[in-house]
Amino acid sequence: MGQEARPNWDNPVQFVLACVSYAVGLGNVWRFPYLCQMHGGGGFLIPYLIMLVLEGIPLFYLELAIGQKMSLGSIGAWTAISPYLGGVGLASVVTSLYLCLYYNIINAWSFWYLFHSFQSVLPWAECPLNSNQTGPIEECDKATPTQYFFYRETLNISPSIEENGGIHTGQAMCLLLAWILTYLFIVKGIKSTGKVVYFTAIFPYVVLFIYLIRGFTLHGALNGVVYMFTPKLEQLANPTTWINAATQIFFSLGLGFGTLIAFASYNEYHNNFERQAIIVSIINCGTSIFASIVTFSIYGFKATVNYENCLERTRVLLLNTFDLAEDSINMDNVFEWIEKLNTTYPVQFAEIANKLEGCNLESELDTAVEGTGLAFIVYSEAIKNMPVSQLWSVLYFFMLLLLGMGSMLGNVTAIITPLRDFKFTSNISDELLNGIVCVFCLLLGLGFTTTSGNYWFVMFNDYGANFSLLFVVLIEVIAVSYIYGIKRFEKDIEDMLGHRPNWYWKIMWAGVSPLLLVTLFIVYIVNYIQGGTPTYQAWNKELGKSEVMEYPVYGQVFIGLLMVSSVGCVPLTALYVYCKKRKHGNHHTRQRTVNTVST
Amino acid sequence: MLGQIFVLLCLSSAWAQQLCMPEASDGYKVRLSINTALGDQAYVWNENEMFLFRATLAFAMRSYSGGQDYNVSNIVVCAETPRVSFWFVVTAPLNSSRLIDRSDVEEAVRKSRNRINSAFLLTDRSLEFIGIPPILTAPVTPDTPQWLIVFGVVMGAVGAGIVVLLVTSVVEKKRKKNKKSGDEDIEEEPREKTEGNGFARDGVYNMSFSDDDPVTQM
Repeated sequence: MGQEARPNWDNPVQFVLACVSYAVGLGNVWRFPYLCQMHGGGGFLIPYLIMLVLEGIPLFYLELAIGQKMSLGSIGAWTAISPYLGGVGLASVVTSLYLCLYYNIINAWSFWYLFHSFQSVLPWAECPLNSNQTGPIEECDKATPTQYFFYRETLNISPSIEENGGIHTGQAMCLLLAWILTYLFIVKGIKSTGKVVYFTAIFPYVVLFIYLIRGFTLHGALNGVVYMFTPKLEQLANPTTWINAATQIFFSLGLGFGTLIAFASYNEYHNNFERQAIIVSIINCGTSIFASIVTFSIYGFKATVNYENCLERTRVLLLNTFDLAEDSINMDNVFEWIEKLNTTYPVQFAEIANKLEGCNLESELDTAVEGTGLAFIVYSEAIKNMPVSQLWSVLYFFMLLLLGMGSMLGNVTAIITPLRDFKFTSNISDELLNGIVCVFCLLLGLGFTTTSGNYWFVMFNDYGANFSLLFVVLIEVIAVSYIYGIKRFEKDIEDMLGHRPNWYWKIMWAGVSPLLLVTLFIVYIVNYIQGGTPTYQAWNKELGKSEVMEYPVYGQVFIGLLMVSSVGCVPLTALYVYCKKRKHGNHHTRQRTVNTVST
Repeated sequence: MLGQIFVLLCLSSAWAQQLCMPEASDGYKVRLSINTALGDQAYVWNENEMFLFRATLAFAMRSYSGGQDYNVSNIVVCAETPRVSFWFVVTAPLNSSRLIDRSDVEEAVRKSRNRINSAFLLTDRSLEFIGIPPILTAPVTPDTPQWLIVFGVVMGAVGAGIVVLLVTSVVEKKRKKNKKSGDEDIEEEPREKTEGNGFARDGVYNMSFSDDDPVTQM
């Protein structure tokens, strides 16, 4: 037997769990709750579920079908559909490469926080003292201890993207560990990945469930859940709501990276991926909603704690200024007393008026945060107020780690599978190829551990994947529906599954999804142009808070490069194949004439 | 005679009261938050507690000054409020019209702060001397940061896992190679006999014709 058979998943459950592990990632935990909060609470579920049906599931099905039919990675699969479309696969690989570079940094941060949770007092619970030991460090005093721990001790962030320092050794070590762990999981290709996904897919649900129970028993949690979930249906009239729902479904399912094609390429030819596609998509959405219930209960707890602390500080201020007995003011009548004292002692009251913070529970609940800010600052602030905070901290960051690692497995597989399909890598063993890819990504990723690394991370996060993915998936769906042909595609699916896809799928692939994608694409471009110079949030050490700054010129050029380098693969590859075909065409006609002459 | 003594006492206490006033230059304001600190176990602030305070402060002055005879009468208190806050000044043991300097009082309080706190079952935050900041204790930092220990453990485990996997795969490959070279010796002979009838070795395994079930159940 000449060539080794392509490795397969041990059973279909491994494939489903791998897809779940990949799709259910950090975005479900930190992006969806934010969108839910910004766009009308419970009402956001309506556009979200509609978009799931209109574009999420059909596109997911499409990618699985392509992967399973061609049994090749993204580059090989698209070349098989049409030689001019090999660039689509290449664009997917480049985007996955960018994602791999910066995504493991988040895992490094999760490791850092996880390791720092094994202390009697969590390091982000209190401010460290300054060198004179007279008080807390100024930066920490102006901000909060959790922000200080994230920006100063974890990142050691510089004031702007232009100023750079050295590499943060702790971060670099955690990144090294993250890549070594990733290598351990993928070292034998899907033989090892298939075993790991049992854990990375299931354990986060265990933690989420534990947190759900913990969250609901926290003081003030119900405030958060009720406030967030009460639907504000007027938000549905806002087109941004629908755009954000569509974009969130799109990115949450991980379409366009080539991972789904890669995973499906290891399936048995007759695997029933139609049912699996629906199941994975529904699990992904269900997880988003589940995670946002947990997040909102944590929000409610944090907001209530902050509100009550604010009331307490006001109460103490009033007691101390007016020397009233301690039990005269309690939490319930603080506001009445403010009024009373204002009228009876207006002069003295005016003196402390500027120290009085307005305590408002709703404004505390309204602070919406997403992304790394939510995961590492807001959540750790809530955790430090819980009893036995070390245990909750360990559980939470371990869950973040598993979610991130599960997605990383998919990302790295999306790069390695197409590479494996090329002839020149068939001599290199699995382990060596995987090792080379991991080392390469590690070395480049070290750039994100420098003092300005977080700003580059945000740039990659915001611009590295979004535009290219929209473009890639748009080309994908148009290529399959119109270039390859729906009829041919139908026949392939019938060959694999035994029945043709029904009219719903065909309408989505040929009509609705491309229209939606074109709309999203245009809206993205319009927003980008109208947004003016791209900006980012820089951490100001003196003020102890973030401020908006514009990217310098080389930053903007780099953003352009990021977007063009992956999208440009498509036309460039088409051009290259066209030129090669023309050269071969000329060569063939020359050969034919020689033969006829010799006979 | 009795009247004179009475007048003298009144005068002296009035004189002492004049020494102590709010915002006195050599005095300090004290604020107690008993209810907040002790909750149900809170005691009521009364004359006896005030006496204890004056006695404790006299003790602090004695410890600081190395044995000078400070008495309860040397600690003068005024401006008591329902908050439980008041001002106090310290007079010299021999000359009750001379006030002890602010800085000396501060040092004395600082030195015996712990004893003063424990006399009242309070802490630095619930028994405040306005103007005397508490000495903050820096948290104990061990020599090796604790996170490095956990990091080392995890890194070691992961590294060991990789080494084990790589070694087993290398061993398996060697075993397969040995087995293959053993098989090849046996296969060589029939192939030489049947010329040109061998199967094409550079074909690709075609999955469509595999014997699997038509539709794989989940």
